[in-house]
Amino acid sequence: MIASLVFLSSGLFLGWSLGANDASNVFGSAVGSRMLRFSTAAVLCSLFVILGAVTAGGAASAGLGELGAVNAIAGSFTTALAAGVTMTWMTRGGLPASTSQAVVGAVVGWNWFSGSITDLSQLSRIAFAWVASPLIAALLAAGLHRLLLAAIRRGRPHLLSLDANLRLGLILAGVFGSYSLGANNIGNVMGVFVNASPFAELTIAGGLHLSGEQQLFLLGAIAIAAGVATYSRRVMLTVGDSLMALSPVAALAVVLANALVLFVFSSPQLSALVVSLGLPPIPLIPVSSSQAVIGAVLGIGLLQGGRGVRQIRWGVLGRIASGWITTPLIAALVAFVLLFVVQNVFGQQVFRPVAYQLSPPALVRLAEKRLPTERLAMDVEPVVGSVRFRDWLRRQVRLEPAQEALVLRIAEIRPVTIDAAGLEALERTSLPAPYRQAVAALEGLSFLHPWQLAEALASRSPLWALAPDATEAEAGRRDARLALVLDTFGVSPPSPGATTTPSPREAI
Amino acid sequence: MSSPLLFGKTHFLEAQIDEFLDKVSEGGIYFQRGIELLLDRGVVPETELKLDQLIQLKERANELRRAVVNTLYSEMLIPDFRGDVLRLLSHLYGLLDATKNVFQELLIEYAAAFEGLDTGADVRELVAVVDQSMQAAVRGARAFFRQPEAVRDHINHIRVYESEADAITLRLKKGLFGSDLPLESKLLARDALAVIDGLADRAEEISDELSILAIKRVLE
Repeated sequence: MIASLVFLSSGLFLGWSLGANDASNVFGSAVGSRMLRFSTAAVLCSLFVILGAVTAGGAASAGLGELGAVNAIAGSFTTALAAGVTMTWMTRGGLPASTSQAVVGAVVGWNWFSGSITDLSQLSRIAFAWVASPLIAALLAAGLHRLLLAAIRRGRPHLLSLDANLRLGLILAGVFGSYSLGANNIGNVMGVFVNASPFAELTIAGGLHLSGEQQLFLLGAIAIAAGVATYSRRVMLTVGDSLMALSPVAALAVVLANALVLFVFSSPQLSALVVSLGLPPIPLIPVSSSQAVIGAVLGIGLLQGGRGVRQIRWGVLGRIASGWITTPLIAALVAFVLLFVVQNVFGQQVFRPVAYQLSPPALVRLAEKRLPTERLAMDVEPVVGSVRFRDWLRRQVRLEPAQEALVLRIAEIRPVTIDAAGLEALERTSLPAPYRQAVAALEGLSFLHPWQLAEALASRSPLWALAPDATEAEAGRRDARLALVLDTFGVSPPSPGATTTPSPREAI
Repeated sequence: MSSPLLFGKTHFLEAQIDEFLDKVSEGGIYFQRGIELLLDRGVVPETELKLDQLIQLKERANELRRAVVNTLYSEMLIPDFRGDVLRLLSHLYGLLDATKNVFQELLIEYAAAFEGLDTGADVRELVAVVDQSMQAAVRGARAFFRQPEAVRDHINHIRVYESEADAITLRLKKGLFGSDLPLESKLLARDALAVIDGLADRAEEISDELSILAIKRVLE
């Protein structure tokens, strides 16, 4: 456990840094303008960041996971460390850097080092979100500012009533912003650890169920809260209104716009609603709250015409735009170098090699999915690394990106044999007994592909089956349990030069 | 910091500010009524009662001003404007205080200033205009709190009344020094007119203050 915490330390540092810097985006205006005491702001911010991270942090984190699933904890540590180092360097150099961009760059660096595929479509969705988030924030802030002013002009509140309402508005917007910050940015802090989580499922008194991912997010959110408590006051009081002087009404519009942007990019429900309206889904990924705030301030500045435009520091904006490119590039390079050092100097496994093989059952499965298997040759030996396998695949047939992803998913091999020793080891894990019984029923069987094991388990017990209308959280829990079984029974993946593979037996 | 408490305090404070402004406004009315009594009946108990009323108004206004400012600072309310509110209330209190002092001086030092003068109607006109300038200053201050866009109109009214007060004072002085009154009476009456006119000047100073505050307060 101590070793796990040591490996998590780089993520916790990222969390602390996020809390210290980004809390000012949600409560900076209220505290900086002395409308709210720092202690009140810190308690509210910490509480709602934790709530947002634990209850709604999965979606944005999964979005980052689609870019690259860092699958060894030393790799996760190094990736988060690379992001942290990049952030520190760039901040010291006076360059505006966002943790989101540093983390994405570091994940790409891990993909590069481990030979994993960087999903370019996901990368382009992420880049779209980086550019879109300040623009959306600008539009929202301008609209909200107009609405608030119209309401004030109509209601003609007394200066003191207006102040009290703005104060309450800033508190509520700050609370919403903190929740959204936790839900969206926990992916930056703990996203790279999800696939190598050292935590098992936990049910605590009162029947409260916490998955391994949620425990990770809780820990990350506590690190964010520590950042808020220890260092954010200074940032709130000094950085608060550095881009442009803001009136309290404008500050409220900015905080609300920022909170909405963070919410938009982390809410699966909203994305589903958008899809139901016939629009493309919203990419659910961590975005930069600092850049959303800058976009929002810009939106209000532009709304004020020439005077507002003159107040905007365009140089800052130019540097931010350049940061969209330089930050991920630098982070990717730093990650590559650090991964090399950690692997070769400290002897740590920074990635678990993933092997692929077009075995006969995989080909049958692909044929069922109506893929042109007649043009695919059967692999005689596994190919280690998704990039190598994809190159091999492309030499045979050109497929659509979605089809290619499906082939990769079906061809992935993780040989397991359900044996007595493994079952004994499984007893010591947190896997509930009914699930273990279904695994025990498969004793003596071997599986080559993870999906074969999943299907065999589903056929043994409805607990392992995934309903067609299962939520993402349910699917995530099922996958986490399956990963636990695979880790417990799994044998080392075949090396690139291996000539034989375990002969899979269909369990069904 | 629960919101009902916050809003309860806010409404209480608003009521205190409104009461303060009422007192300043009442001060103008009592001043005008007092001068009328002075011109009609000289220094009689009814005239002195007006001075007592002005003194009580001033004391209550002072209490209110201190209470409002203390609450604004201790409760960290309107951080952007509390300095402005403090200055505005201080100026208005200064106007009320000056009104009381002027009336007191008129009763003690200048009681005989307008005796023998045939200009009672003009003096009444001057005092009415001075009162109007004070009322416009109070309306401007109320607008600052509730409708900053309207402050400009009240500022303009204050300036017009101040010019009118100057014009009436000039006319009165010309008539005064063209009369056959002894020089000491002329000088006494001149000084009495100057202190009355000075109140309109103080109201104009508030208009200058209000014009700056309104610019800050107008929403953009």
